Amino acid sequence: MSSMALYQSIASGIVSGCVYALVALSVVLIFKASDVVNFAGGEFVMLGAYAGLGALTFLEVPYGLAYVIAALALFFIGATFNKVVLDSVLKRAKHGQRTLVAMVIATLGLSYVIKGGVRLFSFTEEVRRLPSAFSGPPIFIGPVVLQWQDIAIVSISLALMLALYIFFQKTLTGKVLRATSQNPRAAALIGIPVQLMQLYSWGLACAIAGVSGVLIGAKLPISPDFGGPIMLLAFAAAIIGGFTSLPGVVIGGILLGIIQNLVGITISSTAIAVTPFVVIMLVLVFRPQGLLGGRHRIKKV
Amino acid sequence: MYGSVSLRQLFPLLALLLGGFFIPMFTNEYYLYLGNVLMMYAVLAIGLDILMGWAGQFAFAHTAFFGLGCYTTALLNIKFGIPFIVGMPIAALLAGAVGVLVAIPATRMRDIYLALATFAFAEGMFWVFNTWEPVTGGSTGLRIISSNVLGFKVSNDVTAFPVSMSLMCLMIAAAMYLSKSRLGREMSAIRDSEHVAMSCGIDVRRTKVIAFGISAIYAGVAGAMFTLAQSFASPEQFGFNTAILVLTMIVVGGMGTLPGVMIGVLILSMLPEVLRTTMRSFQIWQELVYGLILILSIMFMPRGIWGSISGHLKKRELPSKNAKSI
Repeated sequence: MSSMALYQSIASGIVSGCVYALVALSVVLIFKASDVVNFAGGEFVMLGAYAGLGALTFLEVPYGLAYVIAALALFFIGATFNKVVLDSVLKRAKHGQRTLVAMVIATLGLSYVIKGGVRLFSFTEEVRRLPSAFSGPPIFIGPVVLQWQDIAIVSISLALMLALYIFFQKTLTGKVLRATSQNPRAAALIGIPVQLMQLYSWGLACAIAGVSGVLIGAKLPISPDFGGPIMLLAFAAAIIGGFTSLPGVVIGGILLGIIQNLVGITISSTAIAVTPFVVIMLVLVFRPQGLLGGRHRIKKV
Repeated sequence: MYGSVSLRQLFPLLALLLGGFFIPMFTNEYYLYLGNVLMMYAVLAIGLDILMGWAGQFAFAHTAFFGLGCYTTALLNIKFGIPFIVGMPIAALLAGAVGVLVAIPATRMRDIYLALATFAFAEGMFWVFNTWEPVTGGSTGLRIISSNVLGFKVSNDVTAFPVSMSLMCLMIAAAMYLSKSRLGREMSAIRDSEHVAMSCGIDVRRTKVIAFGISAIYAGVAGAMFTLAQSFASPEQFGFNTAILVLTMIVVGGMGTLPGVMIGVLILSMLPEVLRTTMRSFQIWQELVYGLILILSIMFMPRGIWGSISGHLKKRELPSKNAKSI
């Protein structure tokens, strides 16, 4: 293997890793806010891609607005699901009863509803692709060839991550959201509307998933089924990062992208598909707290 | 409640068993096909329920063992001509052994980490079924030849029906005995509270590993049952969608109760047939209807259909409620 192929595959690993990291951020945000592992995460991405595609083809909006439309649509859907379904599940659960299985099943149900709902539109029968947002001759950085599209993906993801960081560290709403996810009961005691904050978290997380859908839709063919594999990659990225640490998740996503590409050029291209599962199992068995996760916290029953 | 299984409780099973031999004489092949599918799912769902509903372990690896059982039985038959009556136990034990191997690292995890690790394992196995072409036939599938059950050739729904029925009755009876046994009660204790179970002297990890193994054996038997009536195995049948289907069955019916699981199996294995005959665009509606059923049942019947029925019939105290008041 030449070193050129190596650099090239690392570079394109970083590009796809950025998108994995975004989707994983959405999964982890939801997990931190409401202790729900969102199995519909991939479907939110798929829905975001279709929202962007719909806005571009039917409303003929400029490309930048497509991101906004996808984000807003997904914010609304995520918040509604949280309000209508999850609140009701929580309300019916007896005090102290574990709701993990119920929540996961609710999100699985949602993923089926979204897939079936999207298929209702005959527009989605054909596999489609978003037009690329940025075109131009590819640029060369040393031996590495990069498309403008790839650079756009990386920079938009990084900008979004930076915005999230500032939001969570500097703004009051962000701090309140963090407080809610760290200890909902204590947050409620000091007057934070916990349920509303969970609603915001769900909305925000789904909006991120929606934007990453528009980003990834320009690289991968979109079909109603394309969310599933993305969700797996997001889970793997989240687990590498420790499932609760946001910076860890970003690193996990990028690492996963690189690992996948390296597996592709060193072992075989069919092994790419199995990489996330192997990564999930290895990390969970040997380092369950993830690369950046602190000590494994044991939740008291 | 505890003690041994009474003869009265076994009576419905005996009736079913007899039915297994006589029903094929009167019904047409389509109903027998539905019956075979239903019985296979029943064994599969009871196996998952032993792990999830009894032992409280949220694991997703069930379809991997299902596939393992199916491919092992079929391949033993195809490559070595080993009859079903020998191949099925081998497949079940192999599934059980792999289940125990998976359980040893997996039982160190809990909750969502367990779910994700087993989910990854199941997807990994799916990948193996899908790519190991020389053995499993890959994504094109594996043609299953007719099996030899005690000298009888089983190749279609009519001949498979009594065999499936016998196997299902056997597995249900085993589950009934298990629920009365010390092991079964230890599993329920772990589900209700691991700490309390541990302080009562229950070896929590050992019991969890055994629950994984038993559950995998059930899945392996279901996989073997798959080879009886079906003539073709493709990896999709052992993928994520099947895992969700079985999960839906036990959640909608009522987790942790045999009648509940059977209700769930009955409703959800017949649903695709009903949808197929009443709706035109089958796939869309199947997904939408499944999704809605999952969401609505978890919203309004968190303990499943059977849980709601039995809760209304006898307003008995929940065991978990007793535990809380201590």
